[in-house]
Amino acid sequence: MATSASHAVKRLRLTNAQNWVCRNCTRRTFTSSSILAQQPRPSNQPSGNNGDKTTHFGFETVAEGLKASRVGAVFSSVASNYDTMNDLMSLGIHRLWKDHFVRSLDPGVRHPATNPPQGQRILDIAGGTGDIAFRMLDHSTNINHDRQTSVLVSDINPDMLGEGKKRFAASPYHGTGRVDFLEANAENLDKVADSSIDLYTVAFGIRNFTHKDKALREAYRVLKPGGVFACLEFTPQLANPVLNALYKRWSFGAIPLIGQIVAADRDSYQYLVESIERFPSQYEFASMIRDAGFLIPGRTDADSENLEGGWEDLSMGIAAIHKGVKPL
Amino acid sequence: MSLPASTLRAVLRTPTNLRPLLLLQHRLGLQSSPRNPSSSTASYHSYDHPAPAPYPPAETAILSAALAHVPTTGFTRTALTTGLREAGYPEISLNLFPKGAFELVRYHLVTQRTQLNTRVQFPDHDSAAPISVGRKVRSLILARLRGNADAGVVGRWQEAVALMSLAENIPASLKELSLLADEMWFLAGDVSVDSSWYTKRASLAGVYAATELFQSTDQSTDFRDTEQFLDRRLEELRTVGGAVSGTIEWMGFQGGAMVNLLRSKGVRI
Ligand SMILES: C[S@@+](CC[C@H](N)C(=O)[O-])C[C@H]1O[C@@H](n2cnc3c(N)ncnc32)[C@H](O)[C@@H]1O
Repeated sequence: MATSASHAVKRLRLTNAQNWVCRNCTRRTFTSSSILAQQPRPSNQPSGNNGDKTTHFGFETVAEGLKASRVGAVFSSVASNYDTMNDLMSLGIHRLWKDHFVRSLDPGVRHPATNPPQGQRILDIAGGTGDIAFRMLDHSTNINHDRQTSVLVSDINPDMLGEGKKRFAASPYHGTGRVDFLEANAENLDKVADSSIDLYTVAFGIRNFTHKDKALREAYRVLKPGGVFACLEFTPQLANPVLNALYKRWSFGAIPLIGQIVAADRDSYQYLVESIERFPSQYEFASMIRDAGFLIPGRTDADSENLEGGWEDLSMGIAAIHKGVKPL
Repeated sequence: MSLPASTLRAVLRTPTNLRPLLLLQHRLGLQSSPRNPSSSTASYHSYDHPAPAPYPPAETAILSAALAHVPTTGFTRTALTTGLREAGYPEISLNLFPKGAFELVRYHLVTQRTQLNTRVQFPDHDSAAPISVGRKVRSLILARLRGNADAGVVGRWQEAVALMSLAENIPASLKELSLLADEMWFLAGDVSVDSSWYTKRASLAGVYAATELFQSTDQSTDFRDTEQFLDRRLEELRTVGGAVSGTIEWMGFQGGAMVNLLRSKGVRI
C-alpha cells in the first residue's frame, strides 16, 4: 500500500496520546529508554471516570475503558500504512506467513456433502484491510473450486474497514455477495448468531484485545460444532535465545524509530512492538484456547496437558499459528 | 576404534548420510552377538515407560472411521474427510490433523502396536515346553503383519511408506517403529538391558520394517513369501554382523522400493 503524503498528514493529527503514559509501572527491559527519556512526557494519570480497573496498552497501564479507543487510535493512525509496519516486524515475510496460514486452513468445501453445494461462512476478525479475506476467497475458489464460500470481515476500526471496502470494490469479488463487513469489537460479537460460522480467523489482531479470554468465548459461541478457530500472531519470545535478543534489539530499537521517520508516529509503533511482548507464550495461549472449550489439533494422546505440537511456529518462532476445533 | 573388514565394506557401501548410524551401531557393541546378552540384567519393560494413552475421543472416532476407508481410498485426504463426515464433523475440521493423511498412518501404527498383546498369547514362563525368545519374536512379527492384512491396508502400504518417508514425518515414524520393537521384546519376555539392547532393538526394528515392506509387494497365498523373507532376515540376525547386513539390506530395499514407487508416480529418477 502506498504511503501518500495526505495519509501522513492525517497521522500527524494523532491525539496527544502521551498524556496517558504511566511512568512507574512498566518494564522497559528492551525499550530504547534513552531515546524515550529525551521526549518529555507529562505523567498525568488517566482520569477516574473510566473506572479503576487498568489494563496494558503496550507497556503502559491504562484504564480498561480506554484501551479499545486507544487501540483504535493506533490503527487509525497506521491504517493506510500498516503493511509497512507488518513488513518491519516480520522482517518482510508476513505475506508468506499469511499465504501459509490460509493454505494450512484450506478454506472452501472440496467434497460438498449437500446438493446444491453449500460454501463455508468465514469470519475474519480484526480483518482490517481484507488481507486474509482475499486469500481465503482466492484459495477456496482456485484450489477447492468452491464459489459459495463467503467472508465476513470484521474490525473495531472503521478506517481499517474502509480500506478493506475500497480494495474489494476494485476486485473481482465486487458484487459477488461473497464479502461483507461488520464493525464490531471482537469481545462482543452480538451481531453474529450462535453456531453460524465455519471458520473464525484472526491475524495479527488478538494481541490488541483487552480481554483475550472474552474474545475466545465469543469465537466459541459463534462457531458451528466442528468449526475452526485460527490465529496468526507474533510471539513474545523466539526459541533461540541469541536470535531472540537480536530480534528484540531490532523490534524495540529500530522499528519505533523507523515508525517515527516514515510515519511521524513513534508512539503507535512503540505500542505495536510492546503489545507483542505482552502476548502470552505459545504454550499459555494454547492452554487458553483449550480452556475456552476447543480441541487442540495434532494431539496423539489423551493427556490434556500435553499441548506440544498444538501450534505451528513460523520463521524460527517470530510468529505462530494456533488453532482450535469446536467439539460436536 | 578399528573396524573389521566386513563391517568396513558394509559401511562404505552405505550412502554417506547413513554411515554414522552404522558406526554408532558398531560402537554400541554390535560385534557381540545380539543373541548372547552379557551379564548386566537391569530390567527393562514397557511398564517403565508407560504407554501414552490412546488418541483423545473425538480424534479416535474420526480416525477409526477414516481408517475403514483406507482399503478403498488409500491413506489420503479423501479417507480422512469421509471419516470426518461419518463422525459428524464438517470438512473444515480437517484442521484437527495438521499432519493430514500421515495421521491415519500413525493411528494405524499406534492402535496395532497397543493391540499386539491381544493378538498373541504365550504360555506361562514355567510351562513344560518353554518357547525361545527368538520363536516368540517371530510369532509377534507375524501377528503384527497379520494386523495389516486384517485392516486391509497391505495393498496401500506403499502409500503409507511414502508418507512416512517425508522429511517432516520421519522422526514420528521412527519413534513408532522403535516403540513397536520395544513392545515386541517386552511381550517376548526379554527384559534384560545390557550393552546389546540398543542393537537388538535396532535389529528388530530393521527386520520388521523390511518384512512389512516386502509384505506390501507379496502376491503369494497367505503371505507365505513374506514369512520366508522374515525367516531369512532372522537367520541373519543369528550370525555375527547380521544386523549390519540386515540393516543395509533393509535400507537398500527401502531405497529401491521408494525409487520404484516414485517412478511409478512419474518422478524421473
Ligand atoms: C495489525 S492489524 C491486522 C490486520 C489484518 N488482519 C492483517 O493481518 O493484516 C490489527 C487490527 O486489529 C483491529 N483490532 C484491534 N482491537 C480490536 C478489537 N478489540 N476487536 C476487533 N478488532 C480489533 C485493529 O483495528 C486492526 O485493524
